[in-house]
Amino acid sequence: MKLFGLILLIASFLVGCSKEQNFDERVIYLISPEKIAGFDPINASDMYSSNEMGKVYEGLFEFHPLKRPYELMPNLAEAMPTVGDDGLTYTVKIKKGVFFQESPAFKGVKRELKAEDFVYSIKRLADPKLMSKGWWTLDDKLVGLNEWRAKYAQAEATNYADEIEGLKKVDDYTIQFKLKAPFPQFLYALAMPYSFVVAKEVVDFYGKEFLNFPVGTGAFVLPKFEQTNRLVYTKNPNFREKFYPSEGEDSDIANGLLADAGKKIPLVDKIVVDIIVEAQPKWLGFKRAKNDLLEVPKDNFQEVIVGTRELTDDFKSKGIRLHAEAQLDVTFISLNNQNDLFKDNKKLRQAISLAYNRAQANKLFYNDTAIEAQGVIPPGIAGYRKEFKNPYTKYDLVLAKKLLKEAGYPEGKGLPDLVVETRNDTSSRQILEQFADNMKDIGIKVIVGQNTWPELVNKVTTKRNMMYTMAWGADYPDAENFLGLLYCPNQSPGSNGANYCNPEFDKLYKQAVVLQDSPERTALYEKINEMVALEVPWVFSFNRTKYYVTQAWLKNYKFMEFNHTQFQYLNVDLEVKKQLSKKF
Amino acid sequence: MTRYILRRLIYTIPVLLGVSLIIFILFNLVSGDPTALLLGKNATAKQMVELREQLGLNKSLWLQYLDVVKSAFTFDFGRSWQSKQEIMHMVKMGAYPSLALSIPAFTISTILSILISLVVAFYRGKGIDLFIRILCIAGMSISSLVYILVFQWYFGYYLGWFEISGFEQGFPNFVPYVALPAIIWIVLSLGPDVRFFRTIILDEIYQDYVRTARAKGLGEKTILLKHVLRNAMIPIITYVVIQIPFLILGALLLESFFGIPGLGGMTLNALNSSDFPVVKAMAILSSVAYILFGLLTDILYTVADPRVKLK
Amino acid sequence: MKTNSLWVDAFRRLSRDKTAMMSLVIVIIFSVVAILSWMGILSAGWSQEVGGSNMPPSAEFIFGTDLFGRSVFDKVIHGTQIAMSVGLVTSLIAIPIGVVLGALAGYFGGWVDDLITWFYTTFSSIPNIMLLISITMILGKGIFAVYVALGATGWGSLCRLIRGEVMKHKEREYVQAAGAIGGGHMRKLFIHILPNVTHLVIINASLQFQTAIKSEVILSYLGLGVQGEPSWGTMIDDAKLELARGVWWQLAASTLAMFLIVLAFNLLGDALRDALDPKLKGK
Repeated sequence: MKLFGLILLIASFLVGCSKEQNFDERVIYLISPEKIAGFDPINASDMYSSNEMGKVYEGLFEFHPLKRPYELMPNLAEAMPTVGDDGLTYTVKIKKGVFFQESPAFKGVKRELKAEDFVYSIKRLADPKLMSKGWWTLDDKLVGLNEWRAKYAQAEATNYADEIEGLKKVDDYTIQFKLKAPFPQFLYALAMPYSFVVAKEVVDFYGKEFLNFPVGTGAFVLPKFEQTNRLVYTKNPNFREKFYPSEGEDSDIANGLLADAGKKIPLVDKIVVDIIVEAQPKWLGFKRAKNDLLEVPKDNFQEVIVGTRELTDDFKSKGIRLHAEAQLDVTFISLNNQNDLFKDNKKLRQAISLAYNRAQANKLFYNDTAIEAQGVIPPGIAGYRKEFKNPYTKYDLVLAKKLLKEAGYPEGKGLPDLVVETRNDTSSRQILEQFADNMKDIGIKVIVGQNTWPELVNKVTTKRNMMYTMAWGADYPDAENFLGLLYCPNQSPGSNGANYCNPEFDKLYKQAVVLQDSPERTALYEKINEMVALEVPWVFSFNRTKYYVTQAWLKNYKFMEFNHTQFQYLNVDLEVKKQLSKKF
Repeated sequence: MTRYILRRLIYTIPVLLGVSLIIFILFNLVSGDPTALLLGKNATAKQMVELREQLGLNKSLWLQYLDVVKSAFTFDFGRSWQSKQEIMHMVKMGAYPSLALSIPAFTISTILSILISLVVAFYRGKGIDLFIRILCIAGMSISSLVYILVFQWYFGYYLGWFEISGFEQGFPNFVPYVALPAIIWIVLSLGPDVRFFRTIILDEIYQDYVRTARAKGLGEKTILLKHVLRNAMIPIITYVVIQIPFLILGALLLESFFGIPGLGGMTLNALNSSDFPVVKAMAILSSVAYILFGLLTDILYTVADPRVKLK
Repeated sequence: MKTNSLWVDAFRRLSRDKTAMMSLVIVIIFSVVAILSWMGILSAGWSQEVGGSNMPPSAEFIFGTDLFGRSVFDKVIHGTQIAMSVGLVTSLIAIPIGVVLGALAGYFGGWVDDLITWFYTTFSSIPNIMLLISITMILGKGIFAVYVALGATGWGSLCRLIRGEVMKHKEREYVQAAGAIGGGHMRKLFIHILPNVTHLVIINASLQFQTAIKSEVILSYLGLGVQGEPSWGTMIDDAKLELARGVWWQLAASTLAMFLIVLAFNLLGDALRDALDPKLKGK
């Protein structure tokens, strides 16, 4: 009994340790489900790092926070660029009177943003010594940049003073880019965090520690990245005159998203980001009002949502709002098209696809909210055609068995066990357990192989796999970003992990990617997508829908696929928070 | 004694060589080429070749191993491949939360277990002894993961007594965050600790000197606290001190479930992302700690019992 | 003769100990269940969809169903097979390594001892988690990898224990006598000394067994556990996503099963120690 007594005694000391809420400061509480490595924009390769960097750093362009389909607008650029008649020369004017945040590197001087800074920042992206994860965005694109990179690949240090023909400042407020060949996705590349602008003085001042001292031009300041699990951003007191947009979609007015139209941003004093990896604490924290915005974990779906778009009464009574939005992504089970089994055996690939019960998977893992993928391009991106239904993604065991027989494996006889590689988390395992179950119905035995991330990457890049699961999210809203996954020259170790090679596909792909956005290009994208869909290079799975819940007091939130710039627009209603907090 | 300590310190050399060899072999077998992972989902083949060169992966295995050995003796681990952060700084940042959780939890659970086992030894053979023994064993028979899941849900969320997850630097800011994981830690270690200490103490109780003391008319309590506890101290110290190096690594599961940015999570993360420099650093640092605390145990022996001579 | 009387005596004392007998019965029941499940007589249909998704316990499904509508009861039974085999094989790997290395080190001393001591110090100074992850990665996952990983990391403490014990026995008269009548080293070590430390091995085995069962849960949490079939570890791991929405039965059922067997092993280990370790007699 003493044992219990003592435990209770200690416990009671600690009770009430739970913290009180503060209603005076305008603070937003957010969550990052993954660790943040550092604050060097050239390495912002994942969504979560990008989100953090987007609070401090800025780029020339950004996606409009309200307009859909996604549309670029100038940010640090004065206006959208002027493009020369050849379609290769882009001239960008930048805003005057924009200043970097304060830093000891500037020695007390207010440092204005100049065209030179962009030239420097993009050279950093290409610097062979820095090995940026974003180099692919400009690889082989700008005149002279690859040569510059190659020149210093073996050298001790990179010389930034060299002039590069394709990347020049015209004057202090004008930059000129020259492309090697038409590259319609170029402006998207300039909107990605990789090309966010940094100041040379700061990089030189901190040296290798630069990644812990973010100094940008953005709306929020983080004096030092402490590598802890909590990041506290404060409002940048010297932020330029930037205003909340006054245009959006029709529904935005009704949703209160234009209430702050025309107001100077940022609208809050602080943003607190907690890094929480496990699902349970994240979710319990939201239910205790510890954070304002959370993606609904699939396993808590029933607790939150009735049907597909309605919150439960309990959540409604707390003023919580639901945001359900289709993602620009595709999940699939990649088949290794250079494996003897799948190579030249289209019928086997089709049989597997036909035996996969997507409706069941949708119900179990996505609560019936995902869209069954018909091809490579997801809805929301030009090239997706709603009317197109892939005949091989329906659930048809009879046809599957027939094709399996024609493929040379009647009732699975003679077919070796198929191993599908996946990551080592619980959901990945469950998704494949169901897939394996389905395959059993046509006589195929599937073994689920769980891997750590490095193992999986290695199995993919070295082609040592039969099948693996994958989800691909858009880097920018252009079908090129998806179709490239099946382009033969991109095969492993490149992004074509299925090692799919189809000369006809490659020819059409090369034609399409140099075209500017136009109806012809869209038609060509549609054609390629539908052609390759019938070939079943992957078992197409889903285009997922993301569900977010926000607390009643969080204002101006609208789902964004490319969301690293969206946080500067958020607002908080402290009155509402004060009233509602009693209910939590 | 100085000579003994010196000899033991020299003994760390072959152990460190062994540790670096094992880690090096395992890592090379395990992770193959880390470059694809380090360059992200759009990596190009050319860039992967360049990166291999930069990381020194093109050097002969022998030279690569020499690098590992060098860092084992200089403690210069360089920077993480994954986050590009300086590793010693990462270790420092991670050690704080790990220790903020493990030191109080470990101290409380050790003291508590000694107290409980004294009580149990005092009432040996009686109902309360049996009850606590069964409670200990029962407590040990449940997976630690179950404790974490259930306690977090019940005390953190349902009752709302504690912070569910997170961490803040500095005392007393971190107290609300580490309280619940610390309690789980204590509950987890009470069972094995009490069982072990009880055995040790009972072992002493049946020694001759206790009988002599009793014959002299000393009270049971005095015997227990003055004589028995003192003699039982040696095995207890060994048991306790030997656990300390593992405290530094922190409690992996507790850290990840309660969002504590400690060394355990850092190590796991490094293993999960082929971050060899970090894995190497953690293996070497923890084996140095293991050896040093082993030495400390021996020295404490002589303090607790002057009869023990170190040769 | 000493040995014989010890064992006879121990057995007599064990059979009078009610808790120990109960524990033994539980261990036997679990073993039988494991064997029947292995032979396909029990829980062969664990992978069949028998009901709706996540149905709470009812008369039809006493432990409810899981996400895929499979019977949790069947999964627990199948998990028993996994758990018992993990415990058994792990012990079969770890104990011989520990005993042989410990005995050699303790008996021969000198450079043999130095080498073996170096070996286990090196091994035990590396955090276990690193070895576990690396080994399972090299062996490519699955139950085989679990066996080897847990076996390869579990021998250190037994090795140290046996080494110390053999050192003590080496100096004893009976060993000296065996030497005098011309017994070789191996004969002395394996015929004369080892039987006298067997009780330590048995006690250690019962600990090893239950530690392995518990470690399987942690491996499953890390995604390194058994693949493609249910184990208690994967069931508890599933619960980390389920608990918050009130699906508690998978967690409860697997925890209960694990609780029983680990408890039984703990109690049995205690009873064995009391019965076999003469030093602790009468406590």
